[in-house]
Amino acid sequence: MGPKAFVKEYWRLILIIAFVSAALVALFIPGGIIADDSLAGENETVDQGASNIEYGLGLEGGTRVSAPPIGMTADIDIEHDQQREVAQALAVYEYENADLESADTRVRFHEDNNRYTAEIFSADVSHAEFAEALQSAGVEGVTEDDIEDGVTQQTRDSILDTIELRINEAGLSGGQTYQEATLGGQYYIVTEVPGMSPEELRELLSDRGDVRIVAYHPAEDGGHTNTTVLQGDQIAEPGTASYNDQRGYHYVPVTVDATEDEDGNSPAMEYQESMRELGFTSEGLERCHTNERFDRTTGEFDDQHDDPQWCLLTMVDDDIVDVHRMGGDLGQNMHAQTWVNDPTFQMIVPTQQDAHHLAVNLRSGALEAPLDFSREQTYSVEPTQAQQFQLYSIIIGGLAVLTVCGMIFLRYRNPRVAAPMFLTAMAEVVILLGFAAAIRMPLDLSHVAGFIAVVGTGVDDLVIIADEVMDEGDVNSSRVFESRFRKAFWIIGAAAATTIIALSPLAVLSLGDLRGFAIITILGVLIGVLITRPAYGDILQRLLTDK
Amino acid sequence: MGYFDVPEIEYTRYSNRQLAAVPLALLAVALLVLSGSFLLTGAPVQLGMDFAGGAELTIQTTSSEEEIRNAFDREPDSIQAIQAPGVDNQYTVQFAGIEDEGIIQGLSDQAESNLEADGDASIVQSESTASPSFAQQAQQTALLGIAVAFLGMSVLAFLLFRTFVPSIAIVASAFSDIVIPLAFMSLAGIQLSLGTVAALLMLIGYSVDSDILLNNHILRRSGDFYESVHRATRTGITMTVTSMMAMLVMGIAASLFGVELLASIGIILFVGLATDLMNTYMLNVSLLRWYKFEGVRS
Repeated sequence: MGPKAFVKEYWRLILIIAFVSAALVALFIPGGIIADDSLAGENETVDQGASNIEYGLGLEGGTRVSAPPIGMTADIDIEHDQQREVAQALAVYEYENADLESADTRVRFHEDNNRYTAEIFSADVSHAEFAEALQSAGVEGVTEDDIEDGVTQQTRDSILDTIELRINEAGLSGGQTYQEATLGGQYYIVTEVPGMSPEELRELLSDRGDVRIVAYHPAEDGGHTNTTVLQGDQIAEPGTASYNDQRGYHYVPVTVDATEDEDGNSPAMEYQESMRELGFTSEGLERCHTNERFDRTTGEFDDQHDDPQWCLLTMVDDDIVDVHRMGGDLGQNMHAQTWVNDPTFQMIVPTQQDAHHLAVNLRSGALEAPLDFSREQTYSVEPTQAQQFQLYSIIIGGLAVLTVCGMIFLRYRNPRVAAPMFLTAMAEVVILLGFAAAIRMPLDLSHVAGFIAVVGTGVDDLVIIADEVMDEGDVNSSRVFESRFRKAFWIIGAAAATTIIALSPLAVLSLGDLRGFAIITILGVLIGVLITRPAYGDILQRLLTDK
Repeated sequence: MGYFDVPEIEYTRYSNRQLAAVPLALLAVALLVLSGSFLLTGAPVQLGMDFAGGAELTIQTTSSEEEIRNAFDREPDSIQAIQAPGVDNQYTVQFAGIEDEGIIQGLSDQAESNLEADGDASIVQSESTASPSFAQQAQQTALLGIAVAFLGMSVLAFLLFRTFVPSIAIVASAFSDIVIPLAFMSLAGIQLSLGTVAALLMLIGYSVDSDILLNNHILRRSGDFYESVHRATRTGITMTVTSMMAMLVMGIAASLFGVELLASIGIILFVGLATDLMNTYMLNVSLLRWYKFEGVRS
């Protein structure tokens, strides 16, 4: 027999052996067939256990939180030079229940289709108010009905980037974040982190992370007022959380952005100038009774005082983290306008945790829009419990397979029929596992259910093949075999098509856990119909016709 | 244990009406149960936390079940002890239909402060929560998923056989295969969860398997009607009973271990496959026999 004839004769067997070997390599050889290393996190080690299988949250432990971003969007028709003006007008508009800051509004230009959108990231503004605010900003033709809930793709991308940075900053590997579309065209932001409790993850996600320095200083009317003098995004190089040994305080060293624009202004220059104008470097130098003004344990700021005060408030979101006076050296440098040449200072905070928090927020930037935790879904498993689930999955899967196997032996009594049937079903699972390991699909409980379903449908099909082929007496010629096999295959193909159709909605729709189940089952059915089940027919033919 | 043999059913003893009456009566009862439950509770099946909002906690504690029941501001819908090798003092506690997200988030804190820790293990071993609005949307998605799957299956059935009666037989039997397990869930107090929805969809796939087999043997093969039916039953019953046993074992093992997803898939598929046996070999056989011997050929 020539090689060509050999391949023609045995191609089904060659195919299954090739796939099983490839799957075994992908499963057990460390580093095996890894599609692309960059898919996994950089800190992840390739080989964690005896095999290359990656476990998902449910089998490894960790927390997943899904929540939609808060906000609404409108398409607006404006000229290019209006962009900034509209955004500002939206922020200062008097809303009934909300007091917006500039970070809560955004006007974007979308280059791909040449349009503008306006967004408000607040739950306390109604559609009608948003429409009115847009009209008052000089935007024509936007009514209440044109306002949509949700935020733009750009905003969601920025949220995802920020969350990713925060997870990495928190020193946790293996975390990931992605968006998931719902039926109503809404999007949920899903974040998965191993080794975090739901409370911790919720805290990481609920910080808007809007860091700024606010000046508290005497106003013209005799009282005091707040002015934002430096925003988080104007800081070029945030350092890491540090501790000053000599004087015993926690701080984050920062460098303010000194890049000059066309007019020769830079954020550092502006900061220096506003400090000078507001009097911090002259009469306000070192004039803030920080201990009386600010209670570090409660975080309360007390504005009841008689003498004028010049205080610098470090704020994250709506909370005052710490209060300082303008220091002597720094103030003099600013007064002499030399600070801008080396625009660094220390943001001092009460505790190490605050310093860490501040550093993370400065590095990751503010979350573009907050997430709505009143509409969240969470799932969390302790690592020990997840380990048990791994064991249970193996036991449950093993019991199911044993049952199937036992039933087949009871039914056929002929090991020549039943043994290859069992081996074929196992080959299907091995190939599928190898595939999952090769594309680094993290396996969860839902996937285990999928594997069991695959064994179930697989054995069904093998029973059909066996019965069909052994129908009406012995198989004595390969032509009879081929024709019977083809008949059996029509049924199997039709059944596979319906299973795929029945499960495809789940593979596409975002129904949490069920996607994994559907994907594994569909893949399993495909592998079964295309590779393993035809091979079983071949094996059976050889065993029955004694060829 | 003896060998597993598929019995030969003597179809000639029964008329088509007699054969179809049993599955149709059962379907009618099931629909009655579902509509009754709908009128009484507002939902045909009790909705679990995935679809009604709520929480499911797995806790490890030395406190008694009674103490667990009283540890929360809201009474749990169910408390189940987990019986797995090497595991003691673990319970699954379920809460469904909570309207307020704040209450849902507070549950795990209440568990941690009101229950006795078992050694060093954390009290809350796993926690799964869904807010009412998330659940609402999951409900719609699941309904759409089932509808699309059913429609797709029906279209495929018509494409495969291109004749009305055999195709409608497949669709009718698949419909009944879903409705009867739903009624079973309603009566047995099993909540509709993501796992049970997956099982119902799988059921569409499994149900059609045996129907296609039967139709194929009767319509596309030459030979005596009863001979064809007999051969199809032999294969089909082997298939379905094998799957049923696997699902039963999986359902029982998973519910002992407290692996909710696998348990509900196993139990619902077991009931559904049993229903499918009845529907395929009583309802469909009678429809096909009528079509073959008396029906007007198109």
